[in-house]
Amino acid sequence: MSTTAPAEADPAAPWPGPFVRYDLVKELVVALGVVTLLAVVLTVLFSSPDDPPTTIQSWAQADPGDFLATAATELSGTSEIAEYGPPYNHTPEATQKVGPLDLQSTPGVRIPIDTAKDFVLEPLSEVPANPRLKAALAAYQAAPPTLQEAWTGAYEGALAKARIVRGVPVLPAGRYGPVAPMMAALLGLAQSGGLDGALLAGDHRFYQTNYTKPLLFLSGGGYFEERAEGQHLLGTQWGMMNETGSYPGQVWLWLYTFWYQVEPFLESPNADALIFVLMGVLSLAFICIPVIPGLKTLPRHLRLYRLIWRDHYREVEG
Amino acid sequence: MARLDFAALFDLSHPAHYLHWHFFQMSVANVIVILLMIAVFIVAILAPFPKRERTP
Amino acid sequence: MSEESGRGPSPEERRMWTTWVREHAVRALPPEKLLPDRQPSYVSSWIYVFGVATIAALVVVVVSGMILGLGGPSWWHTTSLGRFFNGIHLWGVELFFFAMVVHLWGKFFMGAWRGGRGRTWVTGAITFLVAIGAAFTGYLSQQNFDSQWIASEGKDGLNSVGVGAFFNVGNFGQMYTFHVILLPLAVTALVVWHVLLVRRHGVVPPYPAKVAAAKGSAATSSTEAAQ
Repeated sequence: MSTTAPAEADPAAPWPGPFVRYDLVKELVVALGVVTLLAVVLTVLFSSPDDPPTTIQSWAQADPGDFLATAATELSGTSEIAEYGPPYNHTPEATQKVGPLDLQSTPGVRIPIDTAKDFVLEPLSEVPANPRLKAALAAYQAAPPTLQEAWTGAYEGALAKARIVRGVPVLPAGRYGPVAPMMAALLGLAQSGGLDGALLAGDHRFYQTNYTKPLLFLSGGGYFEERAEGQHLLGTQWGMMNETGSYPGQVWLWLYTFWYQVEPFLESPNADALIFVLMGVLSLAFICIPVIPGLKTLPRHLRLYRLIWRDHYREVEG
Repeated sequence: MARLDFAALFDLSHPAHYLHWHFFQMSVANVIVILLMIAVFIVAILAPFPKRERTP
Repeated sequence: MSEESGRGPSPEERRMWTTWVREHAVRALPPEKLLPDRQPSYVSSWIYVFGVATIAALVVVVVSGMILGLGGPSWWHTTSLGRFFNGIHLWGVELFFFAMVVHLWGKFFMGAWRGGRGRTWVTGAITFLVAIGAAFTGYLSQQNFDSQWIASEGKDGLNSVGVGAFFNVGNFGQMYTFHVILLPLAVTALVVWHVLLVRRHGVVPPYPAKVAAAKGSAATSSTEAAQ
């Protein structure tokens, strides 16, 4: 065993010496103590954020106009979710592409969502003891698609001019057919909290841990997005990195969210797919640094190692 | 915690302050975390490490 | 056992799977290598503590996560003790990524993949990426506004490349299961593999000193070829 360090050691060979005593187990125990103490101090100082979730009920009560506008587009099949494409439904030309590759369509429709049925018609059909609603539903479902479109189109247009009276939008006179009483009943169901339950426990299930339907319904509304904007969580606000309140967020997502702020991704309809693939390529490059020419020799050229190992170089260079 | 309502010493639930530079915008909390990381890295490299006895 | 009598395994024992695993494990990592009480003299910088600091933070995250699991996913919303341990879990995660990034910066500037240590870098890099996934499912499991928003945004990235059809961020049951068992197992397995590789190959030695470089480029170029 050598008592002086060599000026150049083969990195693949065992170190010939010298050695120093190093207590790894004690180091781990000390590290555990220090990190636990830091975590406790930070928790006592700052705790953790817990903004309460938005319910369909809170949405319908706080912004009934936005709730109804969203519900009307879900009924007419013109909402973002209704026209999303796979995995929720078949919508031609809706998918994102990476060049010629259409990865979004590859698995098909594995989480089927029919927005008119799932968000409006089925919850309403479960409402008991309301013959007027039953008749309206029957009339709507019996009508041809062009008439259904005319009713929902007129309703959506009138909503913009509606007055809110005691928490309920009052529309100007118009030809809305059964859509107006259907939407009024849906608003009542939502404001009572029943729609939250109906969307979650659809298909008459008792146990349920899948919140896909209420989440997709919420995501179509302006109320939900405004709440996120207030907390700086939108994609255009570098939101991926942020947390509610003044807490630090997922800082390590900085590069992922960066691409959403710059062209060509900023205006691209394929931004999500392009950035996902780009980050996949960069992650692969990060993993493969040891074999990438230029990158693998960069530390030697940057020479920061001279600072890290300065004691060693002082010894061998005299 | 024995107290019934565990409240932090500093309430961070108010909306964050943001630093803007061109199209960059970052919350003060995130900026602090990043600057601390860089500072800790620099200190870790520069701070003297206790000399250890050579061992056979 | 054959070792107790001082002779090696018999031909029959050699054919046994148990013997094969034991012999290979002990040959790769004899006890003095698995738990050494000494390190090369160049291991003398505070940058070297960030690997073990990352492991310590991971332990804090896992243990606080287990305690949160004792009460179930809604416990921390309704009790102050649960809220306290949620804080430990969150700040443990921030400390975990903090230490891991400082550790990875240090390892990059040391060219720590040299001398056959490529797999050590690879397992470390993959751990980082899997940990990001574990954190993502954690944020989704909070059952508050933040998790709702992250689900509604995250679905678009995942759906755009077909992953969302199988990994449904709106499915709380699925995300919670990934978060509390599948991804912690993956991260822990990767960290164990990473540490065993460090013990096997030792801490990477310094780049050649100026004295060695002055002796001629032949020495350094042969070292680079070995990288």
